[in-house]
Amino acid sequence: MRAETMDQLLRPRKLIVTTALALGVLLIVMLACSLVGSEDISLKAALSSPGAIPGANPDHEIFMRVRLPRIVLACLVGAALACSGVIFQALLRNPLADPYILGISSGAGLGAIFAVVAGLNWTLWGRSPVAVLAFAGALGTVWLVWFIGGLTGKFHVTGLLLAGVVVNAFFSAVIMFLTSTAKSDQVYSTIFWLMGNMAEEDFLVLWVGTGCVVGGIIALFFISPQLNALSFGAEDARSMGVNVVKTRTIAFAVAAGITAIAVSLSGLIGFVGLVVPHAVRLVFGPDHRLMIPLSAIVGAIFLVVADTLARTIIAPAQLPVGVVTAIVGGPVFLILLVKHSRKMGWLR
Amino acid sequence: MNKWVWLLLGVSCWMAAGFALCGPGQGQASPSAAPPAPPKRIVSMAPDLTEILFALGLDKEIVGVSQYSDYPPAAKEKPSVGSFWQPNIESIVAAKPDLVVASTTVGFTQQKRLAMRLARMGYNNLTLRLETIEQLFEAIEQIGQATGRRQQADEVVRDIKSKLQKLSSQVGAGKKVKVLWVVQREPLRVAGRDTFVNEMIGLAGGENATGRTVQIYPPIGAEQVIASGAEVIIEPDMGQQDLKAQQESAFRYWSRFENLPAAINKRIYVIPGGAVSRLGPRLYEGIETIAKCLRPHLFES
Repeated sequence: MRAETMDQLLRPRKLIVTTALALGVLLIVMLACSLVGSEDISLKAALSSPGAIPGANPDHEIFMRVRLPRIVLACLVGAALACSGVIFQALLRNPLADPYILGISSGAGLGAIFAVVAGLNWTLWGRSPVAVLAFAGALGTVWLVWFIGGLTGKFHVTGLLLAGVVVNAFFSAVIMFLTSTAKSDQVYSTIFWLMGNMAEEDFLVLWVGTGCVVGGIIALFFISPQLNALSFGAEDARSMGVNVVKTRTIAFAVAAGITAIAVSLSGLIGFVGLVVPHAVRLVFGPDHRLMIPLSAIVGAIFLVVADTLARTIIAPAQLPVGVVTAIVGGPVFLILLVKHSRKMGWLR
Repeated sequence: MNKWVWLLLGVSCWMAAGFALCGPGQGQASPSAAPPAPPKRIVSMAPDLTEILFALGLDKEIVGVSQYSDYPPAAKEKPSVGSFWQPNIESIVAAKPDLVVASTTVGFTQQKRLAMRLARMGYNNLTLRLETIEQLFEAIEQIGQATGRRQQADEVVRDIKSKLQKLSSQVGAGKKVKVLWVVQREPLRVAGRDTFVNEMIGLAGGENATGRTVQIYPPIGAEQVIASGAEVIIEPDMGQQDLKAQQESAFRYWSRFENLPAAINKRIYVIPGGAVSRLGPRLYEGIETIAKCLRPHLFES
């Protein structure tokens, strides 16, 4: 298949209609999930005025200040992880790639644990040191891996992958060193962080997060035709007139950036970035122009549902959302794999 | 590259709008509830705090407790608002509290974040640090003050202190007994010097057999066990385990240290965990239990 034929496969109308439909489903899921929780609330009370003093209208407070922010957060994180999963799978040409493959997870984890062990105590725009250092650690690690990968040759995919794996292993070892020398009670708070955990966030945090993630997804959509070409390999892409180095740099930077944001917002949530891109590809085909917006939306839906389960299954206690994504995502993905791969025949 | 410029412009505008609408210092000051005197609806976020609240006679005022708040038995009847690690802010808000008591022991970022969130939503909260016996007394007084139960708080503290005084005269100033306080057997983990257990052992007339360590509850190897020369080994039970079964398995486990005084003399005690694993108003009961393990002959009569 060449890029020209793929142009014919995707008409703008199909793209717009599919995306709009998916967005509609996302909105319905968000609304439905915002009505589910450990406390029963009435939508009418929730939408009426908050009342003069805290506690006057708990329904409103639960809906507007606890559930909605958390659902929006789940959307952002899900969309970011799923999209960056698409990018990493395309660039590394490896079906096992996910947003964490190049060491983002261990870099972010190292930052977070360092913040806890060092007992840092300040806030930056309402963000805790854990979030800020996790973000810095994630970006720092990607840069390091990118730099080492560059040393191994002209962005050899294998070199990059190996650099990622080694940096990942090394940082994991440092994390284990820090946790085993940390005071025991400090370790607990990092364990939940490592399992991925949603919490209610400030309005400003969500606003800025939305700007970054949506901006990043649009940027990735802009380069999706080049990504289509790249998935045939660097040589083929170059012969099709694609500026390989530039496309790769933009894609890596943006994907790493939105992953770092997601990680700093909610810790390490696994599985979304691996499974959602595959599921979307199995159902809608491998065209990146369709895959990027759809993966973002499906990722958001998936994480909103997973987080709703996480906060309701054993209510009033909560599960780390990473546990739910793995338990729910695994079987769903296997069903899709068996059902669609035979039909599509492209997985061979 | 026109579309890239537009994208950058759009994102910048979005960010600017965000900071203008709700940037730092704006829209954060929720109308704070007037400090209610005294609070009628209290939520406790930790088992030890629940015990203190009950000790102050606030049974009726408590409308929510954290999971695992199991003492006094009445605490189990109160609605749960999530665990200490993962508080459920939704249940807390639904309980309509006018005072939330939380614990900000070092490293528990969850509780600190919870307190920040609740404060921003306008809920009254009291955060306490409970790591040493001195802090326990302070915490009882602080809670007493915040709930209008100063008198009861004074009484509780005075009662514990006078009982402790009596115990210390009973125990006397004899030779300190070396105690190894085992929190977990596989891998072996013991209480270090920076714990309240360490203080409790001291007040019960003993001495922690473990030296200074980096960790609060250090994992130790067989070599350190032998070097510690522990005369008594104490294992608090962790939850529902059958005390007798644990006692037997403890004898089996420790018999491998043939040269350890505690193992030679079979001075290995498995004690109920409740009063000694938590820093609360049951402090004296905990210390007395330990003292009985250290010098059984003093308490036989």
